[in-house]
Amino acid sequence: MKVFKTLFLVLAIVAGMVLAACGTPDSTASDTTSADGKTQTETVSYDKVVYAYATFNNTPTEEALAEVEEAINVITREKIGVEVELMPIAIWDYSSQVSLALQGGEKIDVFQSLGDLNTAISTSMCLDITDMMGENAAESQELIGDDWLAATSFEGRIYGLPTYKPIALTPMFVYRQDIADELGLDMSKVNSTSDLTSILEQVKAAYPDMTPLAAVNTGNIGLGLTVENVDYLTDNYYEPKGVLMNDELTVVDYYASDEFADLCSLARTWYTNDLVMKDAATTSSTAAELMSAGNYFGYIASYSYPEEDTAASLEAQCGGYDLGAKMIGSAFLDTTAINALTWMISSTSDVPESALKFLNMTFTDEEVCNLIIYGIEGRDYVQNGDGTVSYPEGLDPATVPYTSQLSCGTLGNFFIMYPMGGTNVESLAWELEQNKNAKTSVAMGFTFDNSNVKTEYTAVTNVISQFLPGLICGSIDPETEIPVFLERLDEAGLGTIIAEKQTQLDAWVASNK
Amino acid sequence: MKKKKEKIEKKSKLVKTWPLLLISLPGLIYIFVNSYIPMFGVFLAFKDYNYVKGIFGSDWSGFDNFRFLFKTRDAWIMTRNTVLYNVAFIIIGTVIAIFVAILLFEMGKKLRVKFFQSAILLPNMLSWVVIGYVVYAFLNADSGFINNSILKPLGMEEISWYSNIKPWPFILIIVHIWKYMGVNSIIYMASIAGIDKGIFEAAELDGASKTMQIFRITIPMLKPTIIILTLMAIGRIFFSDFGLFYQVPQNSGRLFDVTQTIDTYVYRGLMQLNDVGMSAAAALFQSFVGFILVVSANALVRKIDSENALF
Amino acid sequence: MKENIETKQFRKFATIVLSVISVLALLPILLIAVASVTSEDVLISSGYTFFPSKLSLDSYYYMVRQSATILRAYGISIMVTFLGTVIGVLVTAMLAYPMARKNFRLRNVMAFFIFFTMLFNGGIVSSYIMWSQIFHIKNTIWALVVPNFLVTAFNVFLVRNYYVNSVHESIIESVQIDGASEIRIFFSIMLPLSIPVIATVSLFTGIIYWNDWINGLYYITDPKMYGIQNLLIRIMDNIQFLKSASNAALLGTQNIDLPGTSVRMAMAIIGILPILIIFPFVQQYMIKGVVLGAVKG
Repeated sequence: MKVFKTLFLVLAIVAGMVLAACGTPDSTASDTTSADGKTQTETVSYDKVVYAYATFNNTPTEEALAEVEEAINVITREKIGVEVELMPIAIWDYSSQVSLALQGGEKIDVFQSLGDLNTAISTSMCLDITDMMGENAAESQELIGDDWLAATSFEGRIYGLPTYKPIALTPMFVYRQDIADELGLDMSKVNSTSDLTSILEQVKAAYPDMTPLAAVNTGNIGLGLTVENVDYLTDNYYEPKGVLMNDELTVVDYYASDEFADLCSLARTWYTNDLVMKDAATTSSTAAELMSAGNYFGYIASYSYPEEDTAASLEAQCGGYDLGAKMIGSAFLDTTAINALTWMISSTSDVPESALKFLNMTFTDEEVCNLIIYGIEGRDYVQNGDGTVSYPEGLDPATVPYTSQLSCGTLGNFFIMYPMGGTNVESLAWELEQNKNAKTSVAMGFTFDNSNVKTEYTAVTNVISQFLPGLICGSIDPETEIPVFLERLDEAGLGTIIAEKQTQLDAWVASNK
Repeated sequence: MKKKKEKIEKKSKLVKTWPLLLISLPGLIYIFVNSYIPMFGVFLAFKDYNYVKGIFGSDWSGFDNFRFLFKTRDAWIMTRNTVLYNVAFIIIGTVIAIFVAILLFEMGKKLRVKFFQSAILLPNMLSWVVIGYVVYAFLNADSGFINNSILKPLGMEEISWYSNIKPWPFILIIVHIWKYMGVNSIIYMASIAGIDKGIFEAAELDGASKTMQIFRITIPMLKPTIIILTLMAIGRIFFSDFGLFYQVPQNSGRLFDVTQTIDTYVYRGLMQLNDVGMSAAAALFQSFVGFILVVSANALVRKIDSENALF
Repeated sequence: MKENIETKQFRKFATIVLSVISVLALLPILLIAVASVTSEDVLISSGYTFFPSKLSLDSYYYMVRQSATILRAYGISIMVTFLGTVIGVLVTAMLAYPMARKNFRLRNVMAFFIFFTMLFNGGIVSSYIMWSQIFHIKNTIWALVVPNFLVTAFNVFLVRNYYVNSVHESIIESVQIDGASEIRIFFSIMLPLSIPVIATVSLFTGIIYWNDWINGLYYITDPKMYGIQNLLIRIMDNIQFLKSASNAALLGTQNIDLPGTSVRMAMAIIGILPILIIFPFVQQYMIKGVVLGAVKG
């Protein structure tokens, strides 16, 4: 019985705590009102803008975040009469959290897309900002340029600002320089994926225990993006469903193309000759991890930096081996390359103009942009004197109070952010140049609205995830499997998707000419 | 006399309702708030969701959101897999749980029981992502434990597990049992503990052997628990343990024929679309089928043995 | 005498079988533990083994550097588990008991009312709106305790099933004649009689609360309120997300340095470590309850 008396006592206490806790929200609510009251007594009241961004780093505590917010507010109050609340959200759950908050009527004014701009537009998640641009974001408009803004537009209306950063990704082969030197491999002659075969063979011959080619990540040995001149028409890069090839304006089935068949048979040759990791289609390790282990020669991935910088920046995470990088293709820009990361104003925002003003500042104001990325100088980072920054002595990304350094390529203007110590500042110019010079798709600016073919999309996506990883990693035989794959795609309704894309594309072409 | 007694009984029944209702009130309120108030979200399944218009304001779309569940050749495969795996889990899981529970119970108060119980319970504490890593550690082709440390030394040919369909139904069932064995056996252990000890003593006096006691007394006495657990499992028969079918096979396309379930299909299909209406529709469909099945099963149980029906 | 010999033999048999099962259950966990102290490059080049050629405590150093965060998260998780279990189990038993009474008029209506929630729910959106907009529980300890798990239909039916089958109605009737009130009957007689199932349900509820990260994900934005699972799932799932080829290409994040495999294994161990420490104490009560219940029933 004693047990139950104690239990009852505990429950009584707990019940008391429940009541007490139920009281807390009210008290916090009154706190906020008093805070509001205070701002009012200061005679100026500022619009409050909530800025939701994806972060890869640890979530900062509210205190650490508040200091950063205050530092930003000092600038924004004066310049645009706005106060900001930062809302960092873990990357893996960003889209669903934002969607939930907006459905739940919570205040988020500025948010970003993660490859899903077309969904945001078709469900009215974001606001048409065309008419507000001139007044509130003129500097950004000029910086980004109308060509890029076309990619974040739909039927002639602008819905967001694309993150301004090096977007021209060039496929490269990243390899162990020490081994290449030792075997006397002439990497300069490697200009395409098929040139790689003999290199990989030589490595295999010299080091039978070594696997020459590593997977980049699950189900990807890097070949997918090496087919040049393909516009995925705003589909996910690894699950294209109806594409444009070779500058034609006719939507075609990518998987039925000769290019795709060649790619798969190349992968198959590598696979059967033990030149590539056997478990690439299902591996749980990334290229960097595999490289660190020491028994892989290289991998294929796309990067936005020049060759030497890419190799240098990867060495630390690849186990400290001496690395080299060689371009094996050229960059190609389509709509997705630009609008994958687009910043939008939410349709539920009560202060859309102020929100846009603040968004504009993340592209144009060096201080604001760096506060969001690095936090407070002295506390979260230190200047190295050469324009680059580092973490304070003895601290690292996991232990500083605030940093979202890893988000640097996903928000605002990359070119006004401080580079991290050790990066080559000069390469920025090269990257800017690449953005302008890269080959651009004929349908640049076209965004596909998939809301009419959602059913077919789900079916086709499932078929693709069933076949594609095995095919491009070489673990299944393209001779027999591609025909089955195509048949299944057809059953799942790929034809309908292609027809719908063609219709929308034709309409887009007509209105743009 | 008889009439009077009936009257008293009736009266006492009526009197009883209020105090009993009072006891259950906190729970009822909680269930109402937690589960019934948010029920309005079901509307989403029939809406073409629009952020400006909100849940109630969005346009009705009839059964459009449900179409994607049926307009695919996978419809048959995913339904078959979901149902068959659940049936296997119900049957095999129950048998093993009861077996382990009886063994644990018969051990009495020994220290060993503690160790055994903790050991078999521990796998339940691991998330599917981690279990996915563990299974991968055993099975991967390049450096997996089974290929590297068992098959190779024995001179047997290495197996490419993640592209070989045949063993997967067994692997999935084993992993499922591994994770849930401990938890399920504890339910049965508690039920065995609730059996009147006198029955066993009487049987022992009659000279019944241990195995006889188990088959003639313990297992029949567990029938209500088995029925109730099975009925509840039937309600969830169109749902699958997402992590088991997605993380454990490492999303390997070659295995879809035996690993694709309704939940993985929906997840893969909607990953890019991120459509709230369609995911609500899928959940509603799964619940609805389970509901029909469980109501029928319950009606059947009621006919045979009304004591043990769910409701 | 004969029975005794048989009982002994049976115990021997049970010991052997259970030992085998326990070893099978523990081996994979041991493999994780070993992997967490295996040097990263060995792990990748030669795979997971029980006897790695090179050990390294790097992954635990990585954890120690964040020990303040981890300890706080432990604290939150323990508190949430305790509150959730105590309140949840009591309310569950109170809900289950009346339904077990044969002459309680509403028993079937209530059973259906509860069972219905096991199948149908309004989805996360509507729950989220309710808890955050009406009850304002975001970033309080109650956000981790109250939504979703406090009373589950599964547990209610387990307890009800126990009352129906293991507690004789005659006991209640005899007390009723003494004039005891229903509330007294429940707390002083029924609750103690149901210790085995209460212990079971407590364990389940405890495990659910310990393993939960859903509530934290939706209702906690301040990392000071993160439980241990939220901390771990965040790191794990960020990795998982970035590993997916499409995401990495999309974000241009292929060169982000992710925590390695051994760190992830160490996290899994850190997630179950407190359970290993606390469980034997809980078990003490459970086994006592099982034995006690058996004597009384």
